[in-house]
Amino acid sequence: MSVDIYWRIHMEGDQPSLRRRGGSRGGFADLPGALAPGVRDGAPDGYSHVDYMAEVARAAEDSGFVGGLLPSFPHTDDPWAAAATLARETRSYRFMIAFQPGFLHPVQAARMTATLQRATGGRVVYNVISGGGGPAQLWWGDRIDHDDRYARTSEFLDVLKGVWHGSHTHHGRFYQVENAGLPEELAGQPFPEIFFSGSSPAAIAAAGRHADHYLSWLEPYPALAEKFDLVRAHSDTPPKFAVRVDVLARETEEEAWDELRRGWAARVPRDSGGESGSGDSVGVRRSRSFLASAGGDLRDLEVSPNIWGGFGELRDGPAFGLVGDYHQVAERLDELIGLGVDALILAGVPHLEEAHRVGTHVLPLLKGRS
Amino acid sequence: MARFNVTLPTRSAARPVLPGFVTDVRPARSDPAGPAGRAAELAGLSGALVPFDPEGQESLVLAAGVLRDSRHLRVIAEFPPGIATPVYLAKFSASLQRFSADRLGWRLAVDLDPAVARAQGDFLSGADRYARAEEFLTVAKGVWQGDFEYRGRFYQVAGGGFAAPLSGRVFPTVYLGGTSPEALELSARHADVHVFSPQDDLETLTERLPGPAYGLRLPVLAREDDDEALAAARRTGFTGLTGCYAAVAAAIGEYADRGVSEFFLEAGPRPEETYRLGEHLLPLLKESTHVG
Repeated sequence: MSVDIYWRIHMEGDQPSLRRRGGSRGGFADLPGALAPGVRDGAPDGYSHVDYMAEVARAAEDSGFVGGLLPSFPHTDDPWAAAATLARETRSYRFMIAFQPGFLHPVQAARMTATLQRATGGRVVYNVISGGGGPAQLWWGDRIDHDDRYARTSEFLDVLKGVWHGSHTHHGRFYQVENAGLPEELAGQPFPEIFFSGSSPAAIAAAGRHADHYLSWLEPYPALAEKFDLVRAHSDTPPKFAVRVDVLARETEEEAWDELRRGWAARVPRDSGGESGSGDSVGVRRSRSFLASAGGDLRDLEVSPNIWGGFGELRDGPAFGLVGDYHQVAERLDELIGLGVDALILAGVPHLEEAHRVGTHVLPLLKGRS
Repeated sequence: MARFNVTLPTRSAARPVLPGFVTDVRPARSDPAGPAGRAAELAGLSGALVPFDPEGQESLVLAAGVLRDSRHLRVIAEFPPGIATPVYLAKFSASLQRFSADRLGWRLAVDLDPAVARAQGDFLSGADRYARAEEFLTVAKGVWQGDFEYRGRFYQVAGGGFAAPLSGRVFPTVYLGGTSPEALELSARHADVHVFSPQDDLETLTERLPGPAYGLRLPVLAREDDDEALAAARRTGFTGLTGCYAAVAAAIGEYADRGVSEFFLEAGPRPEETYRLGEHLLPLLKESTHVG
């Protein structure tokens, strides 16, 4: 068996460390020390966020990762645009593009994907997300109800696959096409692997039909194991499992916790993280209720050795991540693999330096499923 | 100050088959627009159009690659409005504007052949297509500007609008075309540039459409002398503006005098045609049309 390990690309800009919240990389801040764009001789230097993203992609590729997740949020750069821009700048890197089916017509999604497959030699991977629903969806101009989202996602993927594999006619609830298909120029490309996210029962049911990988944020391991069992119970052919994990790994355990302690002391409590958004996502509710139940000390948020639930306070994104020395973090990752996980999406701040660090010091220690 | 654009290919050229004993290390990847785009950049053209081609590769993805590969070239992606929501395409484009220093343009393909449209999942027909295109551009520009609410026939947005860092970029230059009353009405509201074809009655149409700048699609085949140009036209079955560089430049200069400020020169997909334009035709045009 082999495990695919991805390294996330920030679409929200990057911060120099977890010690102080706030982006300086990727045009998200007009601060001294900001870069991509930076300031040279008093004027913008002509670089943009995508130049830094390209560095992170190259760093991930060189450090042993198979590719990266390009996540999607309202106020950050778009993953399709970034993947199309960077398609020719890496050799083996897989672009895991996060998208909500409602925004693109499935024929267009098929055409964009096949064009990217031709540009990259077949390195597109999908992270299909169905959105948080609620007011956030109307920001996107999407009128869909929460419970219809997964029905639409299923129909979207049916049409997309139909178009991909030949001439397709479909008159459904959300989509209609007549004699749709890919032209010879785009036909015959490999269909992307699908990573499917969503914690609600409707999501889990849809995952059972469409997912190659069921993707979850990191949660305490018993909760994760329970979730995987639920997905298995809802699938004729169970998907593989993937977990998106923040890691803070250092030479020594003390060094790792000290890094967090500095960020913790300087934290500014916020209503919600950018990655969590304001929708009615079940995953987001779980993270929030956990944080509210904790006291004031950062080690109170260590639910089991090396699994810490305070990351959402130090940067946008999910609550849980791994903290420890290189060996401890590798052991925890091995335990995830032991739970049946076949793909990991790791992340760390800043994404560039941490890609090198984790690739150099943690990945070589992994033992896999024993 | 006229602008000169070329049209980029969207389909891969057939690969020559090498004899079996010749070591073949050609990569499997395909980049149909790339060489012509780089040629346009180096040859000093103002921009390049990536057309919507149902039989070819997808134009927005190709446009992103050409933008990444150039510093000056303005890249215009053509697409039908039915392919995605206006909020999504605005957001996609805001990223490309950030990545490219605001060099992206949009050409909307509103008047599709009905069978092609249905194969793209679009069953709207007749004047409704222009009504939707109108809403599409209103919504895209609305969210681009900031706080935005909208409830129309085709689209709805609540609590919308881009914030930093996506906000504050230049909205893609909007190119529209067509000669029907609906097309001209849409252009009056939304076009930066209305693009005509050589057979259109420019005088009458521009009188009815006073707002936007005027563009012209123009097939050209220019060579050192008329004989060479005519011979090349015969060989390739080319129809369009044919002649020596000076004659072609003079004809283009006449269009410029009639108010056309942006040209989509269709000179064949191969980079050598684009180099020819840059080395021999553009210098003459710079004299006759005061191109910048």
